[in-house]
Amino acid sequence: MSTELRSPLAWLLLPVTGLVMVFILAPLVVTVAMSISDSPYVVFPPRGFTLGWYAKILQDPDFQASLWFSTMLALGATAGALLLGVPAAFAVARHEFLGRGAAAAALLSPLVFPALITGVALLQLFATIRSNNTPLNMLIAHVLVTAPYVVRTVTASLTLADTTLEDAARTLGAGRWRVFRRITAPQIAPGLAAGALFAFMVSFDNFPISLWLADAQHNPIPLLVFQLIGNVFSPAIAAMSTLMILFAMAVVIVLERVGGLRRAMAM
Amino acid sequence: MAAIPVETARVSPSGVPQARWPAGRLVPAVLLAPSLLFLAVFFALPALTLVLYSIMTQAADGTVGLPLTLAHYQHFFTIPVYSRVLLTTLRISLWTTVVAALLAYPVALVMVRSPPFLRQAITMIVIAPLIVSVVVRTYGWQLILGNGPTGILNWLLLSTGLAKKPVTLLYSETAVVIGSLHVFFPMMVLPVASALGRIDPRLEDAARTLGATAWRSFRRITLPLSLPGLAVGCTLVFSLTAGSFVTPAILGGTGAQMLGMLVDQQILVVYDWPFGATVASVLVAIVLAVNIVSMRILDRRRSVHVR
Repeated sequence: MSTELRSPLAWLLLPVTGLVMVFILAPLVVTVAMSISDSPYVVFPPRGFTLGWYAKILQDPDFQASLWFSTMLALGATAGALLLGVPAAFAVARHEFLGRGAAAAALLSPLVFPALITGVALLQLFATIRSNNTPLNMLIAHVLVTAPYVVRTVTASLTLADTTLEDAARTLGAGRWRVFRRITAPQIAPGLAAGALFAFMVSFDNFPISLWLADAQHNPIPLLVFQLIGNVFSPAIAAMSTLMILFAMAVVIVLERVGGLRRAMAM
Repeated sequence: MAAIPVETARVSPSGVPQARWPAGRLVPAVLLAPSLLFLAVFFALPALTLVLYSIMTQAADGTVGLPLTLAHYQHFFTIPVYSRVLLTTLRISLWTTVVAALLAYPVALVMVRSPPFLRQAITMIVIAPLIVSVVVRTYGWQLILGNGPTGILNWLLLSTGLAKKPVTLLYSETAVVIGSLHVFFPMMVLPVASALGRIDPRLEDAARTLGATAWRSFRRITLPLSLPGLAVGCTLVFSLTAGSFVTPAILGGTGAQMLGMLVDQQILVVYDWPFGATVASVLVAIVLAVNIVSMRILDRRRSVHVR
């Protein structure tokens, strides 16, 4: 521990941090608590205990359809993001060429641009070219917003990977493909896995892009929850939300195991 | 064994090893082409078209075309209903940024300077919610901030006797600031923590040894050196809040309408593409302006430090 945490300032820092942690966890904890409340509408404190809301939503055809569509969409988006993002990350991290900085900025630009506006712009494009295939339109849109995350994590792990090992392998007579397979790939595998998992979650959670492109038959989970919040007042929404929280927590734990959360975020 | 390639890595001035892959210049082009093409067709082109839509006219049959006009911008800035939405958006974004900075700084300090166990716990708690959908997190806030005695905060206030009657928070700008703060808090903590983590602890030790108080060494050393991280955090939080939709839609409703909701309403309800595009362009202009200003400030600081 360094200076500040031993000094009188710590008396200010630690309570503030503690309160912020409560602030961060509060809406999640509250949602979980409500999901097991045995009352027909949301009241606090929760009354009784039931898992009935979970049984109800798991049998709900709308929820099942949304869950299936969201999962397929996120898997497709992740695959697309990897196909586009991994080669691009290699180009940026392992090659020196004119306009490298500009290329790197362009690859990450969808992260800076307001996602809501990216969504409207795509809606307008798909309307103009009369592309009525909703799943395909949404897949393209989701690849667009997930690929930058893959580029970021893979670039970060390529920069961290020890290039002298690759040089040593080359000097010892290994071919380029073999060097990649035996030396580079294992080193960047955690970054790749973290990037893929993160891309999956970004697509699975996406709202501002899906908002414009979804239709009644292709309604991803975040949109379903949003629509229900406006219309339904039962703990069923809390149960649905809790399932999403638990799923996210499982992913967080895997991300942490795979290579550290902060590295996955590349921050 | 065949001829051993004695190709040692030539390191370019920027430190990137060269000649690792065959055929020099062609390879990066081939690797980048699919991504850049994809971005051009599905990002740059539609974004530019949208901006173009904002200066075009919509015919009665719904088609958008000539003549070019600035009437939609005039409409936006002169009609009070719309300029109020713009001001609300700026006010909510500014408040969220300021409060996030004030709260994130202490958290980042504790995160960077704690023993590993505590640091990991704080990092987990800060980052984990990022992976939970914004809709779900906002729903949690709706439960907490609910007006009337059924809201959790009100229940707490009433049952502890801190308030005599329920407070009204939901569907106000304050509720949107609270929700946005929760959603974008990690975007402030992480850059600040990473800037703080890079500061050489010996600098502060030296200041303390030379007789500076804890407060003075913080003010003269830690704070200035962490400002770039703070600038990045503020830029992120401001831009993201300004462009948000879910949080104001659920927690603000008609009580705190923001630009994103106006775009949604104009395009999906009114079907006024040019005006929706105008609002979208204003939003993009705000976000770009904030990013450019912050980049300028960071660049100037860097060049000052070099000299």
